[in-house]
Amino acid sequence: MLDGLGYFATAIVELFSPGTLFNVGWATLLGISVGMLPGLTATLGLALLTTLTFQLAAGDAVMILICMYVGAIYGGSRSAILLNIPGTPANAATALDGFQLARTGRAGEAMGIATSGSFFGTVVGMLALAIFAPLLAETALGFQSYEFFWLAVFGVVISGRLTGQGDPLKGWIAGFLGLLVAMVGQEGVHAYARFAYGNTDLAGGFGLLPVLVGVFGFTEVLWVMKNPTYQAVKDAAGSVIPRVRDVLKHWVTIIRSGLIGTFMGLVPGVGEDMGSWVSYAVARNTSRNKDEYGKGSVEGLMSAETGNSAAVPGAIIPVLTLAIPGSAPAAVLLAALFIHGVRPGPLIMIESPAFIFEVTAMIFYASAAILLFGLLLTKPMLLVLRVSHVKLMPIIFVLCTVGAFAIASRLFDVWVMLGFGVLGLGLRLLGFPMAPLVLGVVLGPILDVNLRRGLVLSDGSLAPFFTRPISLILWVVILITFLLGSEWFLKSVKSWGARIRSQGG
Amino acid sequence: MRRDALTGLALIALGIGVVIESWRMPRFEHLGINPYTVPGIVPGILGAVLALFGTVMLSRTAVAWRRGNEVPPVAGEDEPGSTPRLLLTLILTVGYGGFLVGALPFWLATFLFVLAFLLVFEWRPEFRRAGRRAALVTYASTSLLQAVLVAAAVTFVFQRVFLVTLP
Repeated sequence: MLDGLGYFATAIVELFSPGTLFNVGWATLLGISVGMLPGLTATLGLALLTTLTFQLAAGDAVMILICMYVGAIYGGSRSAILLNIPGTPANAATALDGFQLARTGRAGEAMGIATSGSFFGTVVGMLALAIFAPLLAETALGFQSYEFFWLAVFGVVISGRLTGQGDPLKGWIAGFLGLLVAMVGQEGVHAYARFAYGNTDLAGGFGLLPVLVGVFGFTEVLWVMKNPTYQAVKDAAGSVIPRVRDVLKHWVTIIRSGLIGTFMGLVPGVGEDMGSWVSYAVARNTSRNKDEYGKGSVEGLMSAETGNSAAVPGAIIPVLTLAIPGSAPAAVLLAALFIHGVRPGPLIMIESPAFIFEVTAMIFYASAAILLFGLLLTKPMLLVLRVSHVKLMPIIFVLCTVGAFAIASRLFDVWVMLGFGVLGLGLRLLGFPMAPLVLGVVLGPILDVNLRRGLVLSDGSLAPFFTRPISLILWVVILITFLLGSEWFLKSVKSWGARIRSQGG
Repeated sequence: MRRDALTGLALIALGIGVVIESWRMPRFEHLGINPYTVPGIVPGILGAVLALFGTVMLSRTAVAWRRGNEVPPVAGEDEPGSTPRLLLTLILTVGYGGFLVGALPFWLATFLFVLAFLLVFEWRPEFRRAGRRAALVTYASTSLLQAVLVAAAVTFVFQRVFLVTLP
């Protein structure tokens, strides 16, 4: 088990070169900027960079993407603290205490805490990746089509439940719409072009990246232009160098939030947002100073930022070992790996065993970069928040257009981006979340092929889907998620409970 | 509320449409393939699930109506904002992405788009007033400058540095 750490150290040394440091530097800075700007999410940053770097060598491109991912989730804490607007959805819990600290003139301290939290969170997640990913890959060798089918359903259902903004039904609808979008074009068993009607572009299917760039990029441009908000940023007061005492005092919170965040990232479809919220909730419930939470608690801020950053390596674990994404940005990373010819999945430890450790080493460089930039470049980075939205949006849209076109060089993809951007705006106006839609688009082909393959293997019997041990756990969790998300079930449980109590008492 | 009902109806229609289309997909019986691998099976199931979700949404709305109590609006519904700004953005972006790109050289299309976007959205009514010439000149020249810079930088960086094919 500890061999992993040795390979990890070797990978760090092997990756070290001026070129690597250069890529780490600019990609992390870009990621932090993307994360800081409200509306530009890690998912969008990854989607745009995937299309723009696909001509680079696989190792360089993956490194750049990982730095963008780690940087963006961290960068979001800046706008959460200074503006009370989470830069990415994962930083919502950060705003609770971070903004309160900033209001009382402790913005610099808050940013320092967020930086050290993010750094240590990433480190905990990274060590978990090096230690547990090989074990998970080995376990997953026993997975068959039945398990992969349920994992795909699981990702969509859990993501829909958690991101449905209080209405799980809308989350599930978004997820299943995503699965349906993935059905367009040639299917993986008989190469029949579904819903193509003789159109060669449709037969090729909707590319994941044009869809993503549309839903996260173009939708966001439309949304921002519809709701113009101008913010003025005050200068951050105080030193950003976190006091060693603060870090040492909260070591239990750091380790606990790091582990919770990693686990939340690991579960398909859950991701950074929940990593942050659950870490925050657990920290509050176990804290001796519960009253301080929400009023500027250093511990609360530390737990939220440690939790979301730990979820990043966590979400990469299933990407590498199962080819199932742990979160929406991880779904883009998965697509990028396929584009670069890396084949993630249970066979990864057999086909390219070094790759897991290379990715872990890349996360190490990214975490070092956020620590360095976070502590040294505070003032220059605040300039990012002063950029006017009206000046920024046309640039974002030009990048969306280039990004949609770049992968396959077909203008059809630009139309796909435009179409999904408008669809995304409509869904957003109706209160549907976007993350399950993305997971649906990625998981669609996995669900499709594995359901049919499973049925062939079992000769049409549904029994293995329900009786194999891992399948059993997965479908039971899915069922419970559905039941807990449906009003009639909760109401019936309450009325039963009331009836039993009244009979008993 | 009404939006939810209409969304429910739209989902039912979409779901049923998908089920019918999936049923009509070929089953390759003449090739003797395994009947569990026919292409229509998974989209058919997904269509049915979406129709079911649509029904739940519709019935939920109907129940709330019958009881006369409104379901509290969810986040995202009734967001404030300006529809004219949205429409203008749509016209500019779709005009650029859908029509200009591919028809004109990329740098020219991008220059025109960024310039038009900035001129439209940075415009302030007070520019018209007498004595505001300096502001008007700044507005026009910064827009022009940004348009030139964006068009040049995007074309150069992606073509030369990232080696990406531009439209």
